[in-house]
Amino acid sequence: MLLAGCGGGQDSLQPHSTQSNQIRWLWWGMLIVAGIVFFGAVGMLALAWLRKGDKGLPALGPREGLTNGLVVVFGIVVPVVVLVALFIVANLVVIKTTQAPAKGSTQMSIDVTGKQWFWVVSYDGTPAVTANEIHIPVRTRVRINVRSGDVIHSFWVPELNRKIDTINGQTNSELLYASRPGRYRGQCAEFCGLQHAHMGMVVVAEPMARFRAWLANMAKPAPAPAGGAAAQGQRLFMANQCASCHQIRGTQAQGQIGPDLTHLASRSTLAALTIANTPRELAAWIANPQAIKPGNKMPDLGLSRSQIAAIVSYLEGLK
Amino acid sequence: MAAIATPGQRRVDRLERIWEERPGVLGWLMTTDHKRIGLLYLFTSLAFFAAGGVEALLMRTQLIGPNGTTLSPHAYNEMLTMHGVTMIFLFVIPISTGAFGNYLIPLMIGARDMAFPRANALSFWLFLGSGLFMYTGLALGQAPDAGWFDYVPLASRAYSPDKGIDFYTLGLIFNGISSTVASANFIVTIFKLRAPGMSINRMPLFCFAFLAVSFALIFALPFLTCDLVLLELDRRLGMHFFDPSHGGNVLLWQHLFWIFGHPEVYIIILPAFGIATSIIPTFTRRRMVAFPLVALAEILVAFIGFGVWAHHMFAVGLSTTTAIYFAAASMIVVIPSGIQLFAWIMTILTGTPIFKTPLLWIIGFIVMFLIGGLSGVTLAAIPFDQQVTDTYYVVAHFHYVIFGAAVFPILGGLFYWFPKVTGRMYHEKWGQTSFWTTFLGSTLTFFPMHILGLIGMPRRDYTYPAHMGWTGYNFLETIGSYILAAGLVMVVANLLVSLVRGRVVDNDPFGGGTLEWATTSPPPEYNFAVIPKVTSPYPMWDLDDREEDGRKLEQGVLVLEQGHETPGSTVLDGDWDEILQMPSDSPYPILLGIATAAMFAMLLLAHYVVAGIFLAIGALVLVGWHGTEPQES
Amino acid sequence: MSAISRSMEATSARAAGMVARNRIALPNGVWAMLMLICTESMLFGGLIGSYFYLSSQNAHWPPPGIEAPSVPLPLAITCVLLLSAIPMFLAGKAARQGRPGLTGAFVLSAFLVQAGYLTVQIVLFRHDYLKFTPVDGGSYGSIYFTMLAADHAHVLIGLFLDVWLMARIAMGGLTNYRVIATRAISWYWYFVVLVTLLVTLTQLSPSL
Repeated sequence: MLLAGCGGGQDSLQPHSTQSNQIRWLWWGMLIVAGIVFFGAVGMLALAWLRKGDKGLPALGPREGLTNGLVVVFGIVVPVVVLVALFIVANLVVIKTTQAPAKGSTQMSIDVTGKQWFWVVSYDGTPAVTANEIHIPVRTRVRINVRSGDVIHSFWVPELNRKIDTINGQTNSELLYASRPGRYRGQCAEFCGLQHAHMGMVVVAEPMARFRAWLANMAKPAPAPAGGAAAQGQRLFMANQCASCHQIRGTQAQGQIGPDLTHLASRSTLAALTIANTPRELAAWIANPQAIKPGNKMPDLGLSRSQIAAIVSYLEGLK
Repeated sequence: MAAIATPGQRRVDRLERIWEERPGVLGWLMTTDHKRIGLLYLFTSLAFFAAGGVEALLMRTQLIGPNGTTLSPHAYNEMLTMHGVTMIFLFVIPISTGAFGNYLIPLMIGARDMAFPRANALSFWLFLGSGLFMYTGLALGQAPDAGWFDYVPLASRAYSPDKGIDFYTLGLIFNGISSTVASANFIVTIFKLRAPGMSINRMPLFCFAFLAVSFALIFALPFLTCDLVLLELDRRLGMHFFDPSHGGNVLLWQHLFWIFGHPEVYIIILPAFGIATSIIPTFTRRRMVAFPLVALAEILVAFIGFGVWAHHMFAVGLSTTTAIYFAAASMIVVIPSGIQLFAWIMTILTGTPIFKTPLLWIIGFIVMFLIGGLSGVTLAAIPFDQQVTDTYYVVAHFHYVIFGAAVFPILGGLFYWFPKVTGRMYHEKWGQTSFWTTFLGSTLTFFPMHILGLIGMPRRDYTYPAHMGWTGYNFLETIGSYILAAGLVMVVANLLVSLVRGRVVDNDPFGGGTLEWATTSPPPEYNFAVIPKVTSPYPMWDLDDREEDGRKLEQGVLVLEQGHETPGSTVLDGDWDEILQMPSDSPYPILLGIATAAMFAMLLLAHYVVAGIFLAIGALVLVGWHGTEPQES
Repeated sequence: MSAISRSMEATSARAAGMVARNRIALPNGVWAMLMLICTESMLFGGLIGSYFYLSSQNAHWPPPGIEAPSVPLPLAITCVLLLSAIPMFLAGKAARQGRPGLTGAFVLSAFLVQAGYLTVQIVLFRHDYLKFTPVDGGSYGSIYFTMLAADHAHVLIGLFLDVWLMARIAMGGLTNYRVIATRAISWYWYFVVLVTLLVTLTQLSPSL
């Protein structure tokens, strides 16, 4: 329940944007037409079934010309009409709504880099860097620029828009626009290796004022540790390998392998939505990351329970 | 006995002697008989089908509930890859072309063997070698795990350093050689070995389908081979085809892969169309409606399939113009498919349908192909495709097409030609039960996948969280997959039991229209005592011609009893052009197969010099092969 | 009926020539070669397509530090190789007329041209390789050498076929089998010279 609550839905039939909504209507329209074709054809088979053993339909009889004509009508004429209509609606009209926005046509843009197996999120024109949780202002057109940090991934938040792959050597972009505030879950959609299944993300759409406040906080360096345990946790973090892989802005931890932890405590999940961000789960993660997400790059550091507790108290203070 | 033997009987005896096969295992290893090779293909591909099926069941078991632990993530990815590779390259293509095509095409066109019997044996041994090669990887714990589509950079040395990908790459190149040899053989056989009188417009639709498939393979496979070679060069020698930091491009892999990969889809289903167009006329007691249109549509499907590849790549950030072109081209494929679909339905509707097991499978096929075809059309709507691609919606779509539209007719074909191959009848009631079980199982397995995709479940995930609303559908699918497996076991059990206990039947128990029914069940080594006369696409329904064949045997016309002989004809008109001498059993195909397998094994192990030695041995085998002309043997 | 020949029984040059002239359709062996040519053409289609795809994706082609290929010599020797299709054609014709000596002579003359061509190409290949390699030449180097190597390998295979054919004819004259082999091998060479022309034009395209 907790995770679903944190992640939001991922259901393309429950759209929360103009884009997703149009795709949904496209789907229902296609389903209706497909249903008519399907039941029409199956109806013909059912008719044959009911008359089994009898000689053909009396109306058609052995008239080759008539049956050939029907094949032409059902096999060529009807499909051409339907396909032309579908082509115009889907590939000339709806595509205009869902396609990548031109550069500079949106109020803001966010860079997202897919890595095995998490998302690096950075906000253009600010030092703000975070992971897996993308905040956007509601009812605002946002351009997402996606890149690959290693292999091909696919950025996909179905309740907001279609997906776009991260391709090495090129930057793809897509439009995000949330009609109402909420949390919209997304997930890597292109097979990217061992933990492809655990590469979630969430888009948090919130009113502009709240978004601004959030971004301002994100742009700041990490707060200093409050209290002895946290301070000891910071020392342990810097002394062990943590700092060589993770970045905590404002400290000497500048690693770029794992996600940025500058404001880790402000995020609701860990390991790309694999577990909730609670002190207990964070401790479990640090103790044995390979048990929770086998194959991820974080090693088991062999820390003692008290050391882990100190690091957790440091990290949980990084609001 | 001798006193009452007619001239015809003496001729048959002589043919028996001339065409007699070497007994025992050696006979099978050295055989060049298309029927034996067809059976070898059948058993081998069914074994791979079982392996691919077990892989699928393991995956489904893993996904029965959230956070499953049946398979490790790595094992799941290996199953995922091997399932795809096995079902496509080691099951559907070999069973449809290798088994059905091999066994039936010479019989349907009234020939005594394939055009190149030794090359035919070679293609089987290469296929077997490539299958064993790839499964060796799995046995050694080094199976490929980057998906059957094997996208770079995931498949590059940096992200897949172990030998799994090399097993995939070399295995598929190996397999491709086999398919290429087989396809060239089918094309020449269909063009040149038709019984005199079988002009191209009198050729069975089955053969049109196989002609289209063979051409598609000939033209599509090299793109895969090219892609695989480039990947190996990147992986082995550090070249930069797919490496953007040195001017390479990761999308080059995808383009080359799908230029092959989409025609491949039609390669998979066209033989099934051919089987459907064989079964439907027999069980509806009428010729196919719109025969020329269907023949043309079969060829067109294969042709148009080459112009649509980038619809697999709508989410990679193609320019809108490019995407729209490929969407339009993809939609055009609907038309030849629609023609065939409605031609089948109209034939059933205007004939006298007898719903026996083979026709039931075809009805199931039509229903499943309708669903798979219609969901395919929805994927030509670019925005919708971009929403559901890489989700279970696509998995549902192509399983309806591949399982529903390709495997159903293959199973129907197994029942339909079982009496021809064995001389015994399958069990009708169990046949129907197995159909309904399989149909129910596959619907339960594959239909909910549409919904799962729409509500957001990506494909290729080894697990999924609870509370996403996906659990119930996944549970249903897993149960469905068990039922599906039970249905398939019933099919195999039915055929195995009937092999021993089935009712003995005569040559033509169903009243089929094509020439395979003209000969005995099972057919003799020489297929036909007299090369049959053909004056229409359904020669078995021309009773006068069949009686004339009997008279010809007595007169010794078109018996060709001086050696392993079969007539060669002209390509379009089917005029008799020459008498061809076919080679009899030969050790060269299997030797060349072994040398090739050894060469690929050495390439895998990076012993390039040894690989070169095996290549040279292979060349020497070829010299020996072409050294045995008739006067030298 | 009597017009239908038992082709394989034609084990003398005269009989083989007769069979070849009586046959209306292309023989099966030639058909098989045509199929091989179709599939190999697609392989080169893939390679040449990859070349142009990669070049279209790179701002600098060839990359900085690698000079564009020089045109005259490769183009000249390719034209010479093209000419070798003529003796191959004549060999096929002579074989059909049942003239083993003439067939062998034509194959030999084609062989000499083709072998000379390959020798020059190998020298050029090595010359290029000393300047840049498939690894340090980026994607340009990779496709450049791969495409050329694939083409040269096809020429080499053709040379082996020539040798095999000449040996067979020298040892036992012409038979139906060898007449068909001669025709199939000449078709192979038409394909190889054509593909060599396309590969050479692709190779030289940055300088054209």
